[in-house]
Amino acid sequence: MWKEIGDRQSGKLRPNSFISRIRSNRASSLQLSNHKEIVSPHRGAINSLQVDLTEGRYLLSGASDASLSVYDIQHTTDYEGGGLIAKHKPILHVDKQHQNGHKYAISTAIWYPIDTGLFITGSFDHHINVWDTNTSQVVMDFKMPGKVYRTAMSSLATSHMLIAAATEDVQVRLCDMASGAFSHTLSGHRDGVMAVEWSACSEWVLMTGGCDGAIRFWDIRRAGCFSVLDQSHSQLGRRPPLLERSTTKVTTSRSFSPGQTSSSKTRPPQKKATSSSGSKHSGGSRILRQGKQKQRLHPGLLSSQDRATAHYGAVMGLKATEDGMYLLSAGSDSRLRLWDIESGCNTLVHFEITRLQTTKPIQLAVTQDSALVFVPCMTSLKAFDLWSGKTSMTLQGHYEHVNCCCYNAYDQELFTGGNDRQILIWSPPKLISQDVDEWDGRTGKPPALDEDNWSD
Amino acid sequence: MEWEVDEGKEAAAVVVGLIEKATNSTKPDLDPRILKSIKSVVRHSDLELRLAVENLMNLMKRDHSQVRYLALAIIHELFMRSKVFRRLIVENLEQLLSLSVGFRRNQPLPAPPAIASKLRLKAIEFLERWNTAFGIHYRQLRLGYDYLKNTLRFQFPNLQANAARAQQERRERELRTKEILLKKYELLNSNLPSIKHEVKSMVDEINECLEILQSCKEPNLPLSPINEEEEEEYFEEFRSLELRQIRDNSLKEADKVQENSENKVVFDALRELYKLLVTKHIVAVQESISVLIRVELSDNRVRDSMLKEFIDTRNHLKTIKKKCEEAGCALSVNTTDEGGEEDIWEEGTSERFDIPKPNKQSEDRDHDVSRSKDSLKIINNKAVCDADLDPLKSKLMGEAPVMKWGSFLDNWGSVMANQRGLEVEGHWGRVDYDAVIPANKIAELNIQATVYEEEEEDDKEIQQCGAPLKKGGLCTRRDLKICPFHGTIVPRDNQGKPLIDDDNYLSEVKENLVSVSTEELVKQAVNNVRERDAAKKREYYDNKKEMKRAKLAKVRGHNDAVLRDAALASTSATCSIGEDVETREKNSLAKMLKKKVSVKDRLGRRLLNRKATARATQLMNLGDDDHSKYREAFPNQW
Repeated sequence: MWKEIGDRQSGKLRPNSFISRIRSNRASSLQLSNHKEIVSPHRGAINSLQVDLTEGRYLLSGASDASLSVYDIQHTTDYEGGGLIAKHKPILHVDKQHQNGHKYAISTAIWYPIDTGLFITGSFDHHINVWDTNTSQVVMDFKMPGKVYRTAMSSLATSHMLIAAATEDVQVRLCDMASGAFSHTLSGHRDGVMAVEWSACSEWVLMTGGCDGAIRFWDIRRAGCFSVLDQSHSQLGRRPPLLERSTTKVTTSRSFSPGQTSSSKTRPPQKKATSSSGSKHSGGSRILRQGKQKQRLHPGLLSSQDRATAHYGAVMGLKATEDGMYLLSAGSDSRLRLWDIESGCNTLVHFEITRLQTTKPIQLAVTQDSALVFVPCMTSLKAFDLWSGKTSMTLQGHYEHVNCCCYNAYDQELFTGGNDRQILIWSPPKLISQDVDEWDGRTGKPPALDEDNWSD
Repeated sequence: MEWEVDEGKEAAAVVVGLIEKATNSTKPDLDPRILKSIKSVVRHSDLELRLAVENLMNLMKRDHSQVRYLALAIIHELFMRSKVFRRLIVENLEQLLSLSVGFRRNQPLPAPPAIASKLRLKAIEFLERWNTAFGIHYRQLRLGYDYLKNTLRFQFPNLQANAARAQQERRERELRTKEILLKKYELLNSNLPSIKHEVKSMVDEINECLEILQSCKEPNLPLSPINEEEEEEYFEEFRSLELRQIRDNSLKEADKVQENSENKVVFDALRELYKLLVTKHIVAVQESISVLIRVELSDNRVRDSMLKEFIDTRNHLKTIKKKCEEAGCALSVNTTDEGGEEDIWEEGTSERFDIPKPNKQSEDRDHDVSRSKDSLKIINNKAVCDADLDPLKSKLMGEAPVMKWGSFLDNWGSVMANQRGLEVEGHWGRVDYDAVIPANKIAELNIQATVYEEEEEDDKEIQQCGAPLKKGGLCTRRDLKICPFHGTIVPRDNQGKPLIDDDNYLSEVKENLVSVSTEELVKQAVNNVRERDAAKKREYYDNKKEMKRAKLAKVRGHNDAVLRDAALASTSATCSIGEDVETREKNSLAKMLKKKVSVKDRLGRRLLNRKATARATQLMNLGDDDHSKYREAFPNQW
């Protein structure tokens, strides 16, 4: 660390790379935080955690006992042990007793991406509620046809405010907050949908993972899904650099234009994709073949015939990297797959996972620089190197299954929630001097020292 | 560098060996010596601690609760001491807990079940202690504690909370007593004048009574009290000390005002007042003094002055009490008894005056309880009584049995138990009027309990054994019942022949039914004796052998211990010496896992195995089978 500071001082290191280095250093040294803890008021498993996107200050949690809480993770509400332990109590807690509270377990709780005035919860009582944070009242209510597993809002969206809802039902619905109605019904999955994620680079692209093992990409401006990920359709390693491909595969990238990547962002979005003829990607060609067989179907719905699977078993969780180029999917076959969104290929990275929880959708987290992915593996949380799949950390702290995790990029902290009703904070180690300062400053008896104590 | 590595390895081997040894035992506790050596080895470096942690965690995974239990005990010892150890253990605390508490359903604690439950209790207790001591520094400890307590609802011993509660209770109790004292003090403060007044009036009354007594006393001084010095000068030669004391006493007696019909009223009043003084006022004053001493006040001046006053009052009261006693006011409770007894035993006491113990007399007067005792003793002493009694009484005295004094004399003559058991008149409980106690039981109940007393040795000579010896002559041993060489001592004639045949001989006679000559008898007896002697000798030799063996075993044990010590003190090279011990212990560890076979199990094995059940069903079906065959053969007849 001192070396980097020295380099920065002497100007050898650019500010951006300095920041990213510090960040990745901190991210790779996470450990259970002793000086900061969240007092969880939940009496059931924590199913969902999210830190707000605007300030990185408020943590929203939803639990199985139909309660939800908001914590201020920057400001401590309470100290213990002579100021050694900072406790964060919920600043907002809503449970079943609340007049608009959910009846059954809350499976998902997300912030409105633009500000912290609203948040959205989805529950097993078939409802999606939109809450006003300040009054803690429900301002909008969507009735879904089945249990809600996940909801998602696009953080990029400027032209729509749609809540994508993954439910027990085979259809993915988009709830429009502006009108209070379903604006879209996306059909294609053959089973309930467990995971839903908006693309990180296009506000129109939605990715869903179903219990049928399929991951489908949708362009919400047109009918049907435009791509189905196939686990057997693979490419080795990271995508080759742009320069090599730019000449040969222009058409290919055009065909996938809705799933924009940073490389293709410069081009204007291409509207017609799947129906265009010419040299095709193998996935595209299959769609075409099927299209020939069933001429009468609308071209956009052709892909609904595609039975390709991304996992053997249900897709439990989806997470796109910050840069929007890659998608991580976790399946009930205890596999984590890394997909190249642009090409729709399985990159064949082998993540060293032994077992994943299969009963509940899980929430994955990726660091800002896409170096590490955090995956709840039964009672522990594992951090894998995104590109090699090697385990870089095993975070052991929960006593029952971990359901969700959430990485706060602002101060490199990780929050995890599990069936043992605890929300744990994992943070990079504090410097010792800080520690000493902290409890020196506070008047109060110094806590019992943690030292060697050999009697003989 | 290489050398360091080697050393590290060696140390590792030592730690691992020690831990292995400590946990390889069937005893309920760790061997403190091994524990100590583990501690001292582990202290050296973090590397060894790391190895210890690794090894202990591996031991915790063993499929044997005893091993886990001992490993956990070591972990606890090190946990409370080393910071590095704590850090390492806390990293996989969850695993440790699941292995020691067994809270995961798919990972129950291994056999034997008794030790497994002990392990669980201990693990929970340890976790609590760790949490109270170091919880603040380790989130994992807090988490584990919280999970076991609040989620799984394990019952923690709650040591700290219990101690805190006990202290709280004690504090409350103290507070309460303080309050009570304060209240009492306030009450006392307000009542002080009235108490003073009461005491004063009573004291005045007593004084008046005493004055009256003094005034009405006739001045009878036949012998003017002689000055002590004078007495000594003049009468030293012919007045013994005792006689002088007797005289003094009698003078004092004479000094006292005797109670008679004239001053009886005054005496009664005095007695009443005295009683009041002793039972009420002195006690009350004493109590208030103790209250004043114990009470805690911000301003002590008032209290001190009050205390002074009270102490003065008490002293005053005591002097008055003394005066009353001198005036002949004993504790009134005993006065009635005194009179009754004195009537009966007047002679006895008068007799005692010539016994040269004049102090005893005054004591008797003071403690009339002891008097009755003394007078009873006098009955026993017949010689003393004989002289002055009337002839009938002396005759009866002569006949009467000599009894020790005891509590049974209190109900002398009244039959404690009759044919129906206890007296039933006035008994409120359920009574069985038909119940009869058998006569022998009654006799048994009426027997007086006596203490065994050794009879004097002079008048009873212990008989000689008198059995004929091989070399001629008779055995001259003197034993009470049994001669060690010739058995039970029986009366014998001068040739050593027993006068009464012993049972052994009798049975022989019965078997043979042949008349045996005396010579044969003697031979037989001698043979018997010889046989007995031989048996004794054999036994003696056997004993000797056993003793020798025990001695050898002891020596061997000592050697083992010394070697083991050496092994512990030095390096791993000598570690293997105690190996045979280890294997033996391993066997016993394995044995612990084996279920003890109960009768039920054996029966079950015999009755419930497949063969037996098959046979049983076959037997059951046998008749049925024939019948079915028959039915098949002749369907129309059935």
